[in-house]
Amino acid sequence: MSQVVFRKAEPRDISRLVELNTRLKRLNEEFDPLLRVRADIAETSRTYFEKAIHSPDSLVIVAEDSGKVVGFIKADIRERQFYEPRMEGNIVEFYLLPEYRRKGVGAQLLDHTIKLLKEKAEIITAEFPALNEIAVEFYTRLGFRGVVSVYARES
Amino acid sequence: MAEGDRVGEVAVKAAPYYGGKLEVVPKIPVRSLDDFAVWYTPGVAAVCKVITRSRERSFDYTWRWNAIAVVTNGTRVLGLGNIGPEAALPVMEGKALIFKFLGGVDAFPLCLNTTDRNKFVEVVKTLEPGLGGVNLEDISSPDCFYILDRLRQEMSIPVWHDDQLGTAGATLAGLYNALKITDRKLSKSVIVLFGAGAANIATARLLEKAGADMSRIVLVDSVGILHAEREDMDELMLKNPWKYELALKTNKMKITGQLPEALEGADVLVAAATPGPGLIKKEWIRRMSDKPVVFLLANPVPEMWPWEAKEAGASVVATGRSDYPNQVNNSLVFPSVFRGALDVRAKTITDGMVLKAAEALAEFIPEDKLTPDHIIPTMEEWEVYVHVAASVAEQASAENVARRPLTYDEEFARARRIIERSRKVLMSLMEKQFIKPLPQVD
Repeated sequence: MSQVVFRKAEPRDISRLVELNTRLKRLNEEFDPLLRVRADIAETSRTYFEKAIHSPDSLVIVAEDSGKVVGFIKADIRERQFYEPRMEGNIVEFYLLPEYRRKGVGAQLLDHTIKLLKEKAEIITAEFPALNEIAVEFYTRLGFRGVVSVYARES
Repeated sequence: MAEGDRVGEVAVKAAPYYGGKLEVVPKIPVRSLDDFAVWYTPGVAAVCKVITRSRERSFDYTWRWNAIAVVTNGTRVLGLGNIGPEAALPVMEGKALIFKFLGGVDAFPLCLNTTDRNKFVEVVKTLEPGLGGVNLEDISSPDCFYILDRLRQEMSIPVWHDDQLGTAGATLAGLYNALKITDRKLSKSVIVLFGAGAANIATARLLEKAGADMSRIVLVDSVGILHAEREDMDELMLKNPWKYELALKTNKMKITGQLPEALEGADVLVAAATPGPGLIKKEWIRRMSDKPVVFLLANPVPEMWPWEAKEAGASVVATGRSDYPNQVNNSLVFPSVFRGALDVRAKTITDGMVLKAAEALAEFIPEDKLTPDHIIPTMEEWEVYVHVAASVAEQASAENVARRPLTYDEEFARARRIIERSRKVLMSLMEKQFIKPLPQVD
């Protein structure tokens, strides 16, 4: 495996981001039946990333190996209405292809993203499905802990 | 399948006639009822005390040295699928019979009424004090990987799953000789494994231990060619981590597509998929490299007929059937692996021991007898069991997993004596008519 580099996503990355995001959501579906993937996920993902790439309040970072995007993080900057510190960098999507896992690439990608988020935010949060054990283990290992819980019940 | 129908008729008639295939027969003299005072209470208490002082003596002072359980939950029996533990019992009896006849091992069936893999593991672990070894049988994939991996790790007696290790060992033995005949090196060969069930996943894992270049191995399952970026990788990570690990290690060329694409320029095909014929086309074999090696292991009908593979240019062809040349047959492996492992009181069966068994099996055929139609010994050549047992015992001793190490020659003599005795006892029971002749089928 050659050197993995990190950079901000550009419009030319969108097709690949759509593909990786679909993998991410299908993985979440494996963990939790309440996260059934929509049939039109490709279209909704495309709109989602087109908007995020051009928004000053979002950040999409890709991991690239020999010109190929192998993972990404999407985060949003938002203001907390009632708590200090006010500015929050909120990581909402994180996916890395299997070959690049367990090699420190994920932690590096996260580090890189957090550095950029810290230009605008003072607290970093990450959102992921409660039943995604891999995400739970990953963030816990890196010093994150639960702050907010979202509980669900169908109908 | 006229032959299959015929033996099926005999089997169905014989099963109730004999009331199964096994019974327990004492092996000590009982001259009068007084002898029970020696074999049972009060005499036996002295033996109990010996074992209390050192539990390991249970291997010498009881039948434990030679007793293994053939354990199933009936979730994947032969090609019949999930037929349940009761219906699996005839197969377990048959397995135990082969253990006794070919390896001299006292094997008995245990059918567990659970599909919960953790409960399965707990039950088998609990049985350890009374057993010399465990042979897992006919458990569905991927649970069979989980159960074998855990039991091998957590028990200190040999644990074996024949659908994995036996098939992989026999396949590797055949491959060693097929590669020799076609002038290939294992480490340089492009090997395609078609089918990714218990057999081929175990074969891939064993090939890695044997020194194959994993980046040149390509697995093909029902979805297609396995590679690190396949769409179902995350699902595999959760549901079949064994296949997932292989996807990360194999196929570094990242070939995509189906079997025909995988076979392009490949040296070896090992098919252990679903019964054929017609699953593999002749033109696909023609795409392989010069003088390819083709193993067609599905039973009862191989993925393609062996003569079709030959017509398409295959140099060496093997199947799982006894009526064609080169039968890749687990029965060549498991009786002697257990013979060797039990005789040294092995704590486990290591991959090194499986590799040695495969080597011994391959080397049993002398160079001048090695031909494309004779790469694997047959069950007729019963001396092979003694050789394999001796190699396995020697390897266990070398790897320090033997409670009682033996040299090759020591085990060779011992294995021969035990296996011969086992056959002679059965023959004498038949001669004396304690075992009745097979009933006629009209």
